[in-house]
Amino acid sequence: MIPALGRTLILLSLLLATSGAIVAFAAARRPAALAWARRLVYGYALAIAAANALMVWALLARDFSVGYVAQVGSHATPTWVTIVSLWSSLEGSILFWGLILGLYVAGATHATRGRYQTYMPYAIGTWLATAAFFSFLLAGPAQPFLTVANPPLDGPGPNPLLQNHILMAIHPPFLYLGYVGMTIPFGLAAAALMRRRLGHDLLRPLRNWLLLPWAFLSVAIVLGGWWAYEVLGWGGYWAWDPVENASFLPWLTATAALHSAIVVLRKGSLKGWTLTLILATFLLVILGTFMTRSGVFNSVHSFTQSSIGPTILVFLAAALVWSVVLLAMNIDRIEGEEGAFHGTSREAMFLVNNLLFVLFTLTVLIGTVFPLVVEAVQDRQISVGGPYFDRMAVPIGAALLFLMGIGPALPWGRATRDQVKRALLPPLVTAVVVLGIGLALGVRNGWTLLTLAFAGYAGHVTMKEMWLPLARRVRRGERAAEAFVEGQLGRGRRRFGAYIVHAAVVVIFAAIAVSSTMKVSSERQLRQGESMAIGDYTLSFFGAEVRREPHRVATIAHIGVYRDGRLVRNMGPRMHQYPTQREPIGTPDVHTSLKGDLYLSIMNVDPGAQSVGLHALINPMVAWIWIATGVLALGALVLLLPERRGAAGTIPESAAGTDPSPPPRTVGAPSEETP
Amino acid sequence: MNRKVLLIGAALVVPTIAILFLNLGRNPHKVVSPLVGRPMIEFKLTEVGSGQPIDLASMRGRPLVINFWATWCLPCYAEHGVLVRGARRMGSDVQFLGVVFDDEESRILRFLDQNGREYPTLVDEAGKVAIAYGVYGVPETFFVDAAGTIVAKHEGPLDDSSLAAYLATVIGGPH
Repeated sequence: MIPALGRTLILLSLLLATSGAIVAFAAARRPAALAWARRLVYGYALAIAAANALMVWALLARDFSVGYVAQVGSHATPTWVTIVSLWSSLEGSILFWGLILGLYVAGATHATRGRYQTYMPYAIGTWLATAAFFSFLLAGPAQPFLTVANPPLDGPGPNPLLQNHILMAIHPPFLYLGYVGMTIPFGLAAAALMRRRLGHDLLRPLRNWLLLPWAFLSVAIVLGGWWAYEVLGWGGYWAWDPVENASFLPWLTATAALHSAIVVLRKGSLKGWTLTLILATFLLVILGTFMTRSGVFNSVHSFTQSSIGPTILVFLAAALVWSVVLLAMNIDRIEGEEGAFHGTSREAMFLVNNLLFVLFTLTVLIGTVFPLVVEAVQDRQISVGGPYFDRMAVPIGAALLFLMGIGPALPWGRATRDQVKRALLPPLVTAVVVLGIGLALGVRNGWTLLTLAFAGYAGHVTMKEMWLPLARRVRRGERAAEAFVEGQLGRGRRRFGAYIVHAAVVVIFAAIAVSSTMKVSSERQLRQGESMAIGDYTLSFFGAEVRREPHRVATIAHIGVYRDGRLVRNMGPRMHQYPTQREPIGTPDVHTSLKGDLYLSIMNVDPGAQSVGLHALINPMVAWIWIATGVLALGALVLLLPERRGAAGTIPESAAGTDPSPPPRTVGAPSEETP
Repeated sequence: MNRKVLLIGAALVVPTIAILFLNLGRNPHKVVSPLVGRPMIEFKLTEVGSGQPIDLASMRGRPLVINFWATWCLPCYAEHGVLVRGARRMGSDVQFLGVVFDDEESRILRFLDQNGREYPTLVDEAGKVAIAYGVYGVPETFFVDAAGTIVAKHEGPLDDSSLAAYLATVIGGPH
């Protein structure tokens, strides 16, 4: 019953998406059809949402006659794990993809109703064509609603790694909200190319719809790192794993696009380039999907070997070819006036920023794909490890951080030597102060010191740019609170939000540099009652306990953590053995503080002999990464707050469809009151 | 039509798709063992329980199944049944051997009492043999033909059908 209903809903979603795409493209010539295309969008979203609801229901009811439930369901798993199972395995994850895509497409269709009429047929057509592909996957190669003829009494439960931490309930939805959401700017960019026009009217929704998934993706990448840190037990949060890279690649191009879009707004140039970056972002999302779903790459994320690899590859190839042809055919028409970029101007810094982001993207892409090249050409297994990525990423990252300081400090257009001096010299003081603090606290690594100095510089500039408009208003006699609401949250909202994000990124840079070069590590074999020292902590091993839980066997090492002879807390790193897993899975225990984390994981544990091999780490400043990411999300939220109707800076509706020449001053992030 | 964009696009797209296409069906979890196709590494270990030394050299001339396992490895429980069944059926043609590492004798004996013993189980005291064979995790199983050449390596638990397929290759090897 349920399998048949589920299959019907998926076929319905395929039908609605396909017909909707056709109707939408047809609406380019017959505008009356657009209303029907919109209705079909909502129909698609409803059908795929219903299929998801049905699957969750089947999972909760442990209906093992549904293929996917038989594959990942189990009576032993707790309720939250059962719900999370929706995205824990291949078929369910594609179904969940459909749900998110449905939400995005319906949301974007609703938000653009009655506006951007000339672009929407192409945008909706592109969105629904993408949706049709994913519904096709669900209808054919990755069917979640297969009927199981002889339903088993119980199933194996989802992948144990996904049951190990509550973050697994949060990280994937954020990642999908980031990944899948890139479909919306892709559709809008494709529409601009097909219309051969990128006016300021379209630029605003384009930026907002890029910013939203970008924010989700940013948070998702960090949540993934946090999960790895809390679950995998090797003491780090980033390993340049192919699938981590898969999430990082579109983030890089999307970040570049968010910046180049500012130049489009201010200068009217880099239009074709910005669209290229947006298309590339979506294509990298599909590449990442291929990487996780095809079984070609080895990773903690990869799903089991599956038959959908070739299907996704065909889609990727088609999307790539289509994008290249679309760009080649239309880019010359779309490019605006190519203004000359003066060397010490803000727009020149944006250009360098973009080049660095693209260089970063290519570096990571090459490192990720290179093992495949070697294996295809030489039939030899190699792996590109952390050292390559670190060596490449550290200088590029440092250069980007440097630009974060220089760029916002420089004025738009041609600046006099005096202006440049006045802008660039004062932040040097903060750079030297932060560098001095680093040296005093024992930092000796050259790159880390450089990062701290750049972070100090960029932090100074960011803070100044963030609060300068407020200071000016107050000096003019306005009350601070009013000026804040009017300026920071009103007219200067975009600028304020962007600099909150910058401030967060500066902190993340510093925290990554310090935590990766200043960690202290110690490994010891302890018997019951024995102790070891790390940093200013003493760790005492009280004993090992075996605990049988419904879905696993846990061996817990009880460790007392002392500082200055006083018990700080008891910690319990664990070893989990799941019945379906070959190796036991270590689960570390982390004592978090702003200064640094005490991180304990078990290398081996023997409850019989009461001995444990303990790996202890002190990871300085890691918590700052998580905190700053929260701040980053807050900044993105400020950027995305709906603009008050009639507020200065909104583009009048009449501008839609025309190609307005002068860029409205308050839309660009660093616009208000900059020289 | 902007030819430059088209050319750059093609230069990026064609090799990317080609490489991904060529790698379809690749199993990234597979660690290619350099031992496959080479003569087996000989070892002498004591049998659990009896304490008798068993020398691999004395087994030359018969196909071998060398299974690395441990009692702390849960998948090994399920796999043990598969091996016991296989040894019962094929024991006259193929010599099965279990090699246990990083474990205690009392636990191994309890395990064998509960799960059946059909072939000798050897104790790899310091894990030297496991290291020599490049064992990455347990269970792992090596298949050796009658001439003493390692024909195949299986990572993870065997099931009945995969065991039968491997046995067919070692028996069908150079007799």
